[in-house]
Amino acid sequence: MTPSALEGLIQALRCLPGVGPKSAQRMAYHLLQHDRKGALQLVAALNNALEGVRHCQRCNTFSEQDICDRCSSPKRDASLLCIVETPVDMNMMEQTLAYQGLYYVLMGRVSPLDGMGPRQLGLEKLMERVLDGVVKEVVLATNYTNEGEATAHYLSTLLAEKGIRVSRLARGVPVGGELEFVDPGTLAQAFRERRTVDE
Amino acid sequence: MPRGKADGQRAYVLHTRPYRETSLLVEVFSRDYGRVALLARGARRPRSALRGLLMGFQPLELSWSGKGEVLNLIKAEWQGGQPLLMGLPLFCGYYLNELLLRLLPREDPHPFLFERYAQILLHLGQSPRHQVAEADLRCFERALLGDLGYGLRLDRDWQGAAIDPGAAYRYEMERGPVGLEAGEAGGWIISGQTLLDMARDDYSRPVSRSEAKQLMRRLLAYYLDGVELESRKLFKEFQEL
Repeated sequence: MTPSALEGLIQALRCLPGVGPKSAQRMAYHLLQHDRKGALQLVAALNNALEGVRHCQRCNTFSEQDICDRCSSPKRDASLLCIVETPVDMNMMEQTLAYQGLYYVLMGRVSPLDGMGPRQLGLEKLMERVLDGVVKEVVLATNYTNEGEATAHYLSTLLAEKGIRVSRLARGVPVGGELEFVDPGTLAQAFRERRTVDE
Repeated sequence: MPRGKADGQRAYVLHTRPYRETSLLVEVFSRDYGRVALLARGARRPRSALRGLLMGFQPLELSWSGKGEVLNLIKAEWQGGQPLLMGLPLFCGYYLNELLLRLLPREDPHPFLFERYAQILLHLGQSPRHQVAEADLRCFERALLGDLGYGLRLDRDWQGAAIDPGAAYRYEMERGPVGLEAGEAGGWIISGQTLLDMARDDYSRPVSRSEAKQLMRRLLAYYLDGVELESRKLFKEFQEL
């Protein structure tokens, strides 16, 4: 019979995404049999992270300080605020090297059928952040899914009332995209949202 | 039609939920099979062909097979012709989907309602972003109740007499319009003209719009058995902000 402490470890490992009973068992045996040192490091790292990581007071992303490095950087343009759904989305925006402003991470999205509304998203905190007197333009970079679109609509309506300029990421044919291989939904929307070419 | 198999079935996604690590549980409204629950294996993988395709409010052609309550999605094809919903029409769309999810039993075909849903989505797709498409919502609610067998009685009163546009009525659940007695007051009343307008799906009069909304709200609350709709709750929250 499996000792109960081992059983407990297997159960605990199953909380990880993609880890079923089989992989959890393999991980537990591996840690106890071959890598006790690694297991101790894991414990310490988990403890550290749990104690040290919280949400940045300004951009709401994970941070070890009250205000993260990006938010306190003087090189950033504080008049631009980009709103994204998750920290991963923020990293993607950063990789573009095209954006020099600041961020706000919602840590979710509005999803009417899942009972996920503005209250659950903590939009009060966002409004406080936007109305700091420095932000002039908000760039809505929520996903182009129905939920992302619903979130963007909420935010744009709220912010427009406060006299803040609101823009939304453009959507359409990808860079280097050949029409032949673009999915028809994207192409259809790119046509509907076509722009006049300015000289 | 064998229930476990469909090929190129016209359908709309009503709702999706993550399932396991990379899959999606998809509730769809199909033309010939009604509401069906499908499992889309691997649909959440980064390079999945289904990614971005299983999106609500877009006409699709789906193929599935399997046994049991949840069937396996085999293929999905984008049909096109439906503009993406944005702004308030998008919230209206969520409301339609929630009504279907709550009131439509699984695997009960409703081809007429399906066509109505498709028409109304198309209309929502062309509606202004900052307007609630009240008339569309009322038309859909009436079509839904009618298709479920809770059809509204609108052109005759409960005793079978023609509705008098100038008279006032009260609408009784599962009975229909009851003419008000002289001097009878209080409670909630609806004008004969509104009943006749509703029978023609004509919501051009503001009075009809507001009376019809009240009537529908009461009827739906009755059939929803006290369940509060998330989409409506959210909409209210939005108005309060």
